[in-house]
Amino acid sequence: MNNPSVIWIPQNFTLNVIKDTIKAMDFGNTLKNTLFLNVGCSLVQVCSCAVTGYGFARFSFKGKKFLFGIVIMMIIVPPQVISLPLYTQFMNFGIKGLFTVNLIDSMLTMYLPALTANGIRSGLMILIFRQFFKGLPKELEDAACIDGCGPFRTFVTVMIPNAIPAFLTVFLFSFVWYWNDHYMSSVFFTNTKTIALVLKNLDSELKKNLFNTVTVQLSSREQIVWKEAGCLISIAPVLLIYIFLQKHFTEGIVCSGLVM
Amino acid sequence: MKKKIPYSKKKALYGYGFISVWIVGTVIFFLIPLFKSLLFSFSEVTVDSGKTVTEWVGTDKYIKVLTEDEKYTEYLGDMLIETLWKTPLIIIFSLFIAVLLNQNFRGRTLARAVFFLPVIIVTGPVYKIISNDMETSGNNDIINSSTMFSTDLIGELLEFLGVYGISDRTGALISEVADNIFGIVWNSGIQILIFLASLQNIPRSAREVAEIEGATSWEYFWKVTFPYVSPFILANTVFTVIDSFTNPLNTVMERISDMRNEWAFGEASAMSWIYFGVVMLITGIIIFVLNKFILRESE
Repeated sequence: MNNPSVIWIPQNFTLNVIKDTIKAMDFGNTLKNTLFLNVGCSLVQVCSCAVTGYGFARFSFKGKKFLFGIVIMMIIVPPQVISLPLYTQFMNFGIKGLFTVNLIDSMLTMYLPALTANGIRSGLMILIFRQFFKGLPKELEDAACIDGCGPFRTFVTVMIPNAIPAFLTVFLFSFVWYWNDHYMSSVFFTNTKTIALVLKNLDSELKKNLFNTVTVQLSSREQIVWKEAGCLISIAPVLLIYIFLQKHFTEGIVCSGLVM
Repeated sequence: MKKKIPYSKKKALYGYGFISVWIVGTVIFFLIPLFKSLLFSFSEVTVDSGKTVTEWVGTDKYIKVLTEDEKYTEYLGDMLIETLWKTPLIIIFSLFIAVLLNQNFRGRTLARAVFFLPVIIVTGPVYKIISNDMETSGNNDIINSSTMFSTDLIGELLEFLGVYGISDRTGALISEVADNIFGIVWNSGIQILIFLASLQNIPRSAREVAEIEGATSWEYFWKVTFPYVSPFILANTVFTVIDSFTNPLNTVMERISDMRNEWAFGEASAMSWIYFGVVMLITGIIIFVLNKFILRESE
């Protein structure tokens, strides 16, 4: 990798670099962490967003416009604005005087917002679900209502089966966004490692693990080799999913009516 | 004893039921932090054993950030200019690609997948590494042996095309645009998708009529396609602007993060709010201006 005469065409193929990088990133553990966080958060988030989106799509109540305005706000306000107060809030989480817990570095910092439809880009997902449910024929619910279904049962037994494509699309997006998130996790996590975080700090990790010292000076050309390897293995899982579910990504977003 | 509640009221109650989870979450995880951050921006914030102590100082922080922090105002200006020229390029490019991808050709699915790929792997760090790689490997280390990414290629190309004597400013602009092609393509994924979706909503009959009337493809594009997608141009422009402003990798965002890391919470909050205000203002202007040019179907 240090041969300057090699620019585009590699001399020989080797997996050594990838192996080194996997070791430096502690890939097995990191992957486990990330998956645990990702899949859980995405699932929870999809469900909560679907319920909220349905509420906004099919019921009229006082203050709906105002509340929906807040949803739009959630899309527009960059997470940087609220990340800091969130941090202090998670540090002393709970009800004042009763109990407080320090949630920093716990996965709850990700799970709790996801559970209440306030996770990463939840606003957008609520919007997608709202558009989707609005597009479904109203007769479905009327029929269910006449048959004696309450709204909640209608939602579970009639609407959800019809909304499978939307669920899939939103889940995929949610998964990808959680996977790629390095901002929120870098705010909340100090020791918990996720792939995006590790990749961000790959420089120092590499030096620590491969040369046992942080002070080694590497030229950017040398570093690039490992960094690219890191990129490759960290996008590989998402890429695999994408290849298999490509259709759902592109077609799904079209039919779920992201377009307003 | 069951009290009779009117149907509409009952429905409204169910509506609240459906969104109640979200309301709770929003108050805790969105509205309170938002309010706190606004409060921080008007206060002197000190951290005392994990708790923040705020002291009201009025608009001091805003004035301080705007007048004293040179880096911030500089970055903000750069950011604005960059967005100004990047947004139209992204819109034009994505519309172009969407029209292309809307045709029938072999390997269309693959082509779509490729253009949509950036949305999947938008990891900040990944992007950083890849684009850094392009720059460093192209311009610093092996500039002499590789012409592919050397900037002077643009100059040569212009010369070859017979474009002489353009002013330095235009020249600089052109080469800057050329240097950023990667970023533009990278940021167009969602926009292409939105355009594609809108293109597919154009009724087939429109095409047939145009063909019968003997319209060329060029005319078809301007007379049929363009009016149809024009509302989405607005949507896409707004999306592009917000997307580029909220990208955690842009310099203003990084500056804000830096301030936070220095525990200057008040300054960081003030910066974010100024920034947010600017973004809102620009988005408002864009919506206002573009709304006048949009052709709407008769309502």
